[in-house]
Amino acid sequence: MKKINAMIVAAMSLALVAPAVISCGDDEKEVITKTETIENLVSEYTVNDKLVAAQKAKSGKDEAVLLVAFGSTWNNAFLAFDKTKAAYEAAFPNADVYVSFSSDICINRASAGENPDDNGNIVKRDYYEPRYLLHAIGAAKYKTIRVQSLQVIPGEEFAAVVASVKKFMNNGYISSAHLDDEYLAQLAEDEAIFLGMPLLNDPETDVVKVAEKLNALYASEAAQGVVAFMGHGNPDKYDTFKANKRYEQLEEELQKLNPNYFVGTVDMAKNFKQDVMKRMQDKNINSGKVYLHALMSIAGDHAHNDMAGKGEDYWDEEEPTSEDNSWFEFFKNNGYEAIVPLKGNHPEGLLELENEAAETVILNVWIEHTKNAEYLEDAYHSMYPEEE
Amino acid sequence: MLRFVLSAGLALAFSWFPLHAQDSLKVGDLHEVVVTGTGTQHLLRDVPVQTEVITAKMLESYGGKSVEEILSGLTASFAFSEGDMGSQMQLGGLGNSYILILIDGKRVHGDVGGENDLGLIDPQNIERIEIVKGAQSALYGSDAMAGVVNIITKKHKDSGLYADNATRYGSYNDLRQHNTLAINIGRFGSQTNFQLQRNDGWQNTAEEWAEGMVLTDSKNKTVNAFLNWQLAERLTYRPVKDVELYAEGTYYKKEIQRPRNGNHPSCDVYTYDLRYNNASASVGGRWTMDNGKWKMENGPLGPKGRLTPQEWTMDNGGRRNYVTFDLDWNKHAYYYDYTAGTYVTMRLVGEEFGPMNGEWYPVKMKAGQSRLQSDQQRTKGELKGVFYLPWENTLNVGTEYRYDYLNAPDRTSEGNASDWTGAVYVQDEFDKLEWLNVTAGVRLVGNQNFGVRLTPKVSTMLSVGDWRLRLGWSQGFKTPTVKELHYRYLHVMGSSTFFNIGNTDLDPQTSNYYSAGLEYRGSRLTAAVTGYVNQLDNMIALVNVDDGEIPKGITTAYLGDGSSKVQARMYKNMDNARTYGVDVTVGYQVMKDLKLNAAYSYLDTEANLYDTSKGKMTHVTIDGTAHHKWNATAMYSHAFGKRYKLGVNLSTRGSSTRYYENNGNGKPYQIWRVNTTHEFPLQVSSFRIQAIRLELGVDNIFNYVDRTMHPYHLGTTSAGTTVHGTVAIRFNTGKNVKKPIFTTKSKLNNNEED
Repeated sequence: MKKINAMIVAAMSLALVAPAVISCGDDEKEVITKTETIENLVSEYTVNDKLVAAQKAKSGKDEAVLLVAFGSTWNNAFLAFDKTKAAYEAAFPNADVYVSFSSDICINRASAGENPDDNGNIVKRDYYEPRYLLHAIGAAKYKTIRVQSLQVIPGEEFAAVVASVKKFMNNGYISSAHLDDEYLAQLAEDEAIFLGMPLLNDPETDVVKVAEKLNALYASEAAQGVVAFMGHGNPDKYDTFKANKRYEQLEEELQKLNPNYFVGTVDMAKNFKQDVMKRMQDKNINSGKVYLHALMSIAGDHAHNDMAGKGEDYWDEEEPTSEDNSWFEFFKNNGYEAIVPLKGNHPEGLLELENEAAETVILNVWIEHTKNAEYLEDAYHSMYPEEE
Repeated sequence: MLRFVLSAGLALAFSWFPLHAQDSLKVGDLHEVVVTGTGTQHLLRDVPVQTEVITAKMLESYGGKSVEEILSGLTASFAFSEGDMGSQMQLGGLGNSYILILIDGKRVHGDVGGENDLGLIDPQNIERIEIVKGAQSALYGSDAMAGVVNIITKKHKDSGLYADNATRYGSYNDLRQHNTLAINIGRFGSQTNFQLQRNDGWQNTAEEWAEGMVLTDSKNKTVNAFLNWQLAERLTYRPVKDVELYAEGTYYKKEIQRPRNGNHPSCDVYTYDLRYNNASASVGGRWTMDNGKWKMENGPLGPKGRLTPQEWTMDNGGRRNYVTFDLDWNKHAYYYDYTAGTYVTMRLVGEEFGPMNGEWYPVKMKAGQSRLQSDQQRTKGELKGVFYLPWENTLNVGTEYRYDYLNAPDRTSEGNASDWTGAVYVQDEFDKLEWLNVTAGVRLVGNQNFGVRLTPKVSTMLSVGDWRLRLGWSQGFKTPTVKELHYRYLHVMGSSTFFNIGNTDLDPQTSNYYSAGLEYRGSRLTAAVTGYVNQLDNMIALVNVDDGEIPKGITTAYLGDGSSKVQARMYKNMDNARTYGVDVTVGYQVMKDLKLNAAYSYLDTEANLYDTSKGKMTHVTIDGTAHHKWNATAMYSHAFGKRYKLGVNLSTRGSSTRYYENNGNGKPYQIWRVNTTHEFPLQVSSFRIQAIRLELGVDNIFNYVDRTMHPYHLGTTSAGTTVHGTVAIRFNTGKNVKKPIFTTKSKLNNNEED
């Protein structure tokens, strides 16, 4: 009996104490503290700093070009970024070229996955976070820095690029990751940090130039029917620099070359697919071919699904203007012959477009922007062209 | 085709058995007692609020590995689908946020995406499950618009030591472990439970629609690998005869492992796993008053021994007033466990961050590090009483106060949010007339942000012989949860990425539930048909919205240039939704050893959503609903002498097409399952080993697998044919071992119960 009693008491004490012990032991360490957050920040700066320092030591170059794209998780996009980087290396033989993504998810998933390159070899896709990479470029003390936005319009994403460059110039980092102030002062004095503007930055020059290139590419299509471009656009709330206007300006320029060109978006108010159709109908275009092209730097989710999606998943008759309905199905079901020109089973993004004739290569507009990039201060002041 | 042949076969099997009754036969669930609908003990046949029960016998015979499996296999009312964070539950077309899941009358705490974690419930520790549909009960909360699922757990009250172990192992490394250790000495009682559930997960298809094509080597699983375990301790103490006090604590942990070997960043690459930690502590008590005089004429006062309060009332012919109080604290914390370097956009707050203070910034988490996503804490107090008044009135009154606190540094604008809700309820059961029972109640709910609302509920039951006609009407009222108001987060599901946003402009949801049911409960045949309409107004759902709704400061991380699309979704009040359906259940005791059960559920739903961008009403189907669902079970059990008892359970379940707004409909399916139990009673010297039980079974006998590619919806996530086996042993020592092995708890006189 004594034995049983002792056993019972022991079992009870164990049962009582066990949950408390386990819960205390487990939980506490798991919310990362401020100190750990700082450690993580510093160690990531260090990782990037070392990487860039190694590249600089290897190449011996004094100029850095940092390309900032939103990013992607699609392999066709990775290949397009490969080509973009190569084109930049050719255009800037004296510079180290880095590609960064402003989307965390894209960086995270790209680096954890494995993807084939153009030759079918499995490669690791490490892209960098622009803020960390810019820090590293500063830590490596490149004498000239060119930051190039690979965005189409100077919108919300571009604003973030501007903010990170400003932060960089003002040494806006935690104290343990401060850059050399003298170096930053020198950069400013030398006016050696440049910000390359998005594709459709200037309504007078860029928009006209891009319209010409697009016409050179698609004139034959425009001769047969409508060519409708699908841009992204910013929601009204985030139309930071009133940059949505560029899509309207581009349409205007394109229509000077051929009235069959139209430019719509997925996110810009009053310029959705139904608005594009309305403008077509206003011109009495009620049937015929409609060629669909993405006006985005690469062809990803929007181009494949929102623009080119085919079948019942992309069409709800009861709600024709639903954002879940693709442009392809929308035009098809409204009496047009919708066509999505493909290359290797994919629609193409602006960075992916290749053509023998240099005058049609859209990427060259970005490269020119990089070459002609202005010193940050002036660039910053010219950042608000439409703002009153 | 096969499923129709099989259904027809089962129907034939039903009709084949002779229908003439053997009058002496009194087995089955005739004596099943339920508590959920009214808060008082009722025989199932006489409960005024329509209640569906999964009995101990059904549970044992079916041998389900989880609550999901039990509810989908033994009733036709529930539907489950698989999300990346575990299973998603529906009752009568409404999701988990409208279903109140109770464990012994207490609501399960904590949700991820509105889904309770059913892993908190140990299937081996379930005594029975009671289901009350609609917001019919004033007692638990008017937010139970779809219904209440009350899981009644096993309590071991025999004097001395009780211990059991059940280990179940099956395909895909499925392991379920259950242990109980109970000790009762004098006025003290202790019960310790441990349970563990794990599974490697499975993949029904390697095909995935991503990157504008069909990838054929996706590593995404149909059900992800998981591991969870729980330790629970309950102490009871009886300071005096009529008072029982208890203290309870639980600790729970769950990990969901996502594929590590994916190659495609667009769909099957993950850099973190998911983890949940739950903890709870409660104290409470029950005071049973010695005032059963009114009912003396109906029976003796009953045994006064070491019985649970529940058994006390249950075994008690006379009814005694009682008062209970409960104070609970619960925590449900949700973490990301990083498996690779991962940039996480978080808000840096503190002087330490210098010029970065206040900025949303990407911080690289390292493999092995974790980050809290949300910690939901709830503190709840409840006081209630049941009073038996003259003229056969039973009065149920109670009050409840609840404080919810949400700590979510990266997922709320301020880092945390809170909310309180209070409620007072009164319910009276009038049972003076033999042919009529009226139960009517009101619940007054008050909420910090949404004011006060009174919700009435009425159930009436007309009894004629073995027939019962039940009519019910109830109003529901559900204030937006703290998460629906304040939570916003990025939800990455394979190739789909959503940014879900809370909405502080939400209005409370309200419902009107009407039901009418006719039931026949004969000695061998039971049959019930119930029709219902559930009209919900201001129903809250995640609705696609403009990307512009994504909060400032974190937009750039999520607003793409077209390469990767993030769909912004916000909680919004849909204008209204209606679900209506018919449930049919049939039970037939073919012979003493064989019982057949079948259930069928018809459901139709409509929801109307006002689309602000288009200025018109759009009509949508509630995701995941199917018009037809059914199941049938044949339960056979026979004792061969005193040394061996065999149980065989053959069951089937099926569903017609499940409808979804996006990503395709789920295919119809029908699945068959067999489970056998083998019980060997034993006795070994000082320890009295009650029995060793073996269980062997095969699920999805005909290997039906839905191989629809990711990310399209499946009808069923079943992995195809799986096998399982269980070894269970239980023993006890002490003086009061009375429980017979081969008989179910039965009370032969129906009049013993109220």
